[in-house]
Amino acid sequence: MNSTALKATVAGVALLSMAGWAQAETVRVTVAEYSSKTGPYFEEAAKAFEEANPGSDIQIEVVPWDVLLQKLTTDISGGANADLSIIGTRWLIDFVEQGIAAPLDDYMTQDFKDRFFPVFLEPSVMQEKTYGLPIAASARAMYYNKALFEQAGIAEVPDTWDELAEAAKKIGALGDDIAGFGLQGKEIETDVYFYYAFWAYGGQLVEEDGTSGLDTDAGYKAAEMYKSLIDSGATQPGVTSYNREDVQNLFKQGKVGMMITAPFLSNQIKEEAPDLEYGVAAIPAGPDGERGTYGVTDSIIMFENSQNKDLAWKFLDQLFTTEWRAKFTSGEGFLPVNPEVAAQPAFADNADLKAFTALLPDARFAPVIAGWEEIAATTSDAVQTIYLGNGEPKATLDAAAEEINGILGQ
Amino acid sequence: MIRSPLTNPYLLILPGFLLAAFIILWPLYQLGTISLNDVNRFGQLRGLNGVENYVAVFTDPDFLGALWRTFIWTGGIVVGTLIISVPVAMILNEDFYGRSLARVIIMLPWAVSLTMTAIVWRWALNGESGMLNSGLQNIGLIDQNIQWLARASTAFPVQIMIGILVTIPFTTTIFLGGLSSIPDDLYEAAKLEGASRWQTFREITLPLMKPFLNISIVLNMIYVFNSFPIIWATTQGGPANSTDILVTYLYKLGFRFGKLGEASALSVMMFALLLAFTILYVALAMRRERT
Repeated sequence: MNSTALKATVAGVALLSMAGWAQAETVRVTVAEYSSKTGPYFEEAAKAFEEANPGSDIQIEVVPWDVLLQKLTTDISGGANADLSIIGTRWLIDFVEQGIAAPLDDYMTQDFKDRFFPVFLEPSVMQEKTYGLPIAASARAMYYNKALFEQAGIAEVPDTWDELAEAAKKIGALGDDIAGFGLQGKEIETDVYFYYAFWAYGGQLVEEDGTSGLDTDAGYKAAEMYKSLIDSGATQPGVTSYNREDVQNLFKQGKVGMMITAPFLSNQIKEEAPDLEYGVAAIPAGPDGERGTYGVTDSIIMFENSQNKDLAWKFLDQLFTTEWRAKFTSGEGFLPVNPEVAAQPAFADNADLKAFTALLPDARFAPVIAGWEEIAATTSDAVQTIYLGNGEPKATLDAAAEEINGILGQ
Repeated sequence: MIRSPLTNPYLLILPGFLLAAFIILWPLYQLGTISLNDVNRFGQLRGLNGVENYVAVFTDPDFLGALWRTFIWTGGIVVGTLIISVPVAMILNEDFYGRSLARVIIMLPWAVSLTMTAIVWRWALNGESGMLNSGLQNIGLIDQNIQWLARASTAFPVQIMIGILVTIPFTTTIFLGGLSSIPDDLYEAAKLEGASRWQTFREITLPLMKPFLNISIVLNMIYVFNSFPIIWATTQGGPANSTDILVTYLYKLGFRFGKLGEASALSVMMFALLLAFTILYVALAMRRERT
């Protein structure tokens, strides 16, 4: 049995290396499927590249988001990974620490760097080297329902969390099935929904001394504020059974006055609830005027074991020209990462997008820490405990911070 | 009589054994190796580290909670299914008009994938727009929406109930097979002697059904212990890990936190636990049968 397996492996390896010989100019690219437009976009880009560079062969592998990390893990452990791949930037630290991602600085000219907003390049810089290029970017802003605002007699969009709490209570009083503020309390990014208030109160996820910032006044105040919103009926009931999509659905049904989420909700409303009158505004500020939105980027990386790095870079260079970026960004509903793209009328005149881009100076990214996913889960658990009333804000956050410090210290 | 070596029983089971070994023992060996190593999140081994992974799992407070809940989960579903399936199978064994239709209806949930069932339930349990709440309100049982999945005290019992519902078809099928193997003349004789229905059930049906009860308990125990979709699709083990069982906890450990070493250690422990329980149960059941 073993020898058969061995033979099969040897034959496979031999075949693979022959394939490598026959087509020395092949670049494989793993891309995440953001929407049904992703695959065709990259196929088109590959075709254009092959025409401009005879003899080259770009192979696109489209993978659903949910299984991307699993696929990359399997490919890497089997040594069968592609040359380029899209990854979530928050995973990058693991790729860099294990020597899997290749630094790109030798290829990047100043001219190339100038094509990007610096804020989006930063997250993929590690140990003073750039390991990824931002292929997709997103931020969060507050959506509000204009009709509900009018019914409740609110003229001004809340700009601070105090104003938001007041407005949420007024809207919540409109009816049993109407909630003032949609609060996410379940599944992925439950912790992020807490950070919006946490940052506004001046909190920092990781303090300067390298410990968790949850056990600070900012943490306690943000948690108490959310809890009082829940207790006063200003949120939808049972927040811990609502994930982000559930809250978005309530918003689309016109049952929620305000919620914080990503640009793609605009596209969804356009298709599913075109009559909904809504606006997009900044995430409210804290007592000292601080505010923070969550910035997320996905990066495209080059693998250290790639055999055709120069050609792979050439393909990247094409992907990040204004023409191809504009096509991708408008197709997927992401934020433009390049100033030239952002200046195009399609983006510059879009009121929703403007609200998001205006927030970018306040954008905070998930810290690049190995084990971030576990820290996020610990935080989510803690805020769920508080939302449920199973723990006092201070005691729960202190315990969570201690646990996080353990992870950070590893 | 001299047997040909070709009919040697060990030789005859060899191909089957090798296949089973390839499918079961080889991954188990791999799992064991990974669990004793320091592993990075890409599955690359970084050298032996003894039982460190096992210690890490054991000292995690979430592990003990999940372990305890796994027992409630498994016990609740296996016992609950048993209690419901026996009468259901007995009714379906009677001859009545429309029996074949009733049998099909009972079996139908089996044909639907477990994940789909779980997702449908997730919608049905939605606090604001779920079928369950509006149904209960219509018949006047509740006057306010219940947020079923918001806390463990309502979510976990509901999950167990879903588990029971999806386990019934398989269990009922086994019992129907068992019931049809009991000869009718036994019941006729008992009737002539004047036995009540309860006596017939206790003295004839139950003892003769015992092997079928046993096999259903063992098989259900194995399936339910490792059942992932219901809990994952409804709550993902939340809020705050309060509905996690071992297998959902394992998934988080392995694929969310990238701790493949600890996840492997947990898998090995789960395998050992399940094996021990099954052997214990089979041994107990067999001993009772012999005496």
